[in-house]
Amino acid sequence: MQKLYLLSRLGRYVVAFLLIITLNFFLVRFMPGDPLIHLLGEESYHYLYVHEPEALEKLKAEYGLDKPLPAQYYAYLANCLRGEFGWSYRYGQPVFKVIGFRLKWTFALLLPAIIISACLGAYLGALCGWRKGQQPDIILTPLSLFFYTLPTYCFGMLLVLIFAFYLDLFPLGGVVSGNVFGVWRFIDILWHMCLPLTVLIIHNTAYNYLIMRNAVAQARTGEYVLTALAKGLGEMRVLFGHVFRNALPPLVTVVALDFGFLLAGALLVEIVFSWPGMGTLIYDSVMARDYPMLQGCFLILTICVMLANFVADVLYALIDPRIKEGEAVA
Amino acid sequence: MLRGRMAAGAVQNLFSVGRKGKMAMAGFVILCFFSMLAVFAPLLSPHNPWALGTPYLPPVKGHPLGTNDIGQDLLSELIYGTRISLMIGFLAAFLATGIGTAVGLLAGYLRGVVDEALMRLADVFLLIPTLPLVIVLVAYLKPSIWNIIIAITLLSWAGTARVVRSRVLQVREMPFVKSARALGAGSFYVMFRHVLPNTAEVVFAKASLTVAGAMLTEAGISFLGLGDPTQKSWGMMLHHAFSHGAVVNGYWWWYLPPTFCISLAVLGFVLLGYAGQEEEQGARRGPPV
Repeated sequence: MQKLYLLSRLGRYVVAFLLIITLNFFLVRFMPGDPLIHLLGEESYHYLYVHEPEALEKLKAEYGLDKPLPAQYYAYLANCLRGEFGWSYRYGQPVFKVIGFRLKWTFALLLPAIIISACLGAYLGALCGWRKGQQPDIILTPLSLFFYTLPTYCFGMLLVLIFAFYLDLFPLGGVVSGNVFGVWRFIDILWHMCLPLTVLIIHNTAYNYLIMRNAVAQARTGEYVLTALAKGLGEMRVLFGHVFRNALPPLVTVVALDFGFLLAGALLVEIVFSWPGMGTLIYDSVMARDYPMLQGCFLILTICVMLANFVADVLYALIDPRIKEGEAVA
Repeated sequence: MLRGRMAAGAVQNLFSVGRKGKMAMAGFVILCFFSMLAVFAPLLSPHNPWALGTPYLPPVKGHPLGTNDIGQDLLSELIYGTRISLMIGFLAAFLATGIGTAVGLLAGYLRGVVDEALMRLADVFLLIPTLPLVIVLVAYLKPSIWNIIIAITLLSWAGTARVVRSRVLQVREMPFVKSARALGAGSFYVMFRHVLPNTAEVVFAKASLTVAGAMLTEAGISFLGLGDPTQKSWGMMLHHAFSHGAVVNGYWWWYLPPTFCISLAVLGFVLLGYAGQEEEQGARRGPPV
């Protein structure tokens, strides 16, 4: 049953992935003008158009643009599955290679932020949901609503102004200062990471906090809570031993399901701190109109988001015994 | 008539006493403030936001927030920016809510194959990360507010559809719906006359959150430089400020005001939607947007 559930989910990912690839395919081919403009870049396209029209024809054949659409589509699909997303004219390198390098830095920022903020949000949310309307809750809830609505890049600029510009405690941006090696390089990277990581942690914690608070507030109305309290268990023991476990599935799934949302926040923060991840890559590609790169980024990010969703499904199946035993969960 | 009354009732419930009522009220006041700014922009702004002047002025007399890189008054830009930011948020949310409500209503009421098909479709759309897709779409379709609105709409309806569907599933089992059906009322009559008005509260709350999400997305892609270059929005102001080194040079008057406006406006919509959403937990999980 568990397998069946995961398989049906997998089907969805395949459909979504095909949809994205199809969209990418048609965006290039049905835009006004020669599709080669988007593949080669305007500059080199016009250069070739004027000076070497026969080279242009050759390229057209190379990209398979002279074949009928279904054949083109099949070739495109095969290339995507092999990880060949095209050639970035701006970097003079295959798109996949550039993205692979950049993705590393994005995850260096995103993963610690997700883990720390999940723990922090779960703990604070559980406490405040348990005592809804009391002391920590009335302060923390409006505060998290505020941090939740403050865009990450705005928050980032604010921190840069205070801690980097006026107080001069942290660097303005970048990932490492030159001329440092070994352990010092690692420490230097951590030092550069402080501000962007703080932004992401606070933003994500606010988000997780709100979910956990609601989940716990809802779970505490269950009768088993009353039973546990009646048999004399301490409040904290009931909260973290019984309620917490029941409130966890929504948090786990939401953290994974909203991975795309967290990712978007991280991408924009990177730009503020000139962190060399996917965000700055997208920013630079937008500026340079590097279409193959933009498409590659989009595909890779979508795959990451889908993977995160799949992890959520697996975790959910593990945590929620109802799925384990094969009960239908809407 | 009936539909209007139900919607009014939903709004009234929202402002009912208590903490939620206060939250909703705060959100409402914030939104009124920004709506006024947007409507009376020409009267309120001290200068024409497109008029050129001395560039890079710090806050001085006559230019309370200074000027930008081509000498346009920043306060006027900020006030006019309210129009575009709110308009994109409202229009995208309006379209997304319309589509989402229709889909949710059909899926929840008709059940069966229609439900399966529509919800699978919604699931697929929920899987696609919003910001990267909007970036790619807008980059190809050329930046304009209409393309931004279409792109945001395309990815926002699915959330509404799910929420509306789960509400419809509750409503369709209520006695008055059953009796209407027993009296021989057609599916579409029951759906639009009886079920739809009872989803008003949920739709209203979700719509408010959709506006917040749309405004955040718009600000994000404008910040990336994919905003409509012919229009002034808060996100575009941030983009210009950032790309002209306002952060590293400490020109706080350039980017703090739009930051403040974006978060405050989004907070307003979230407060309004969140208050409505908290009315009934259960079907929904998680926080706003």
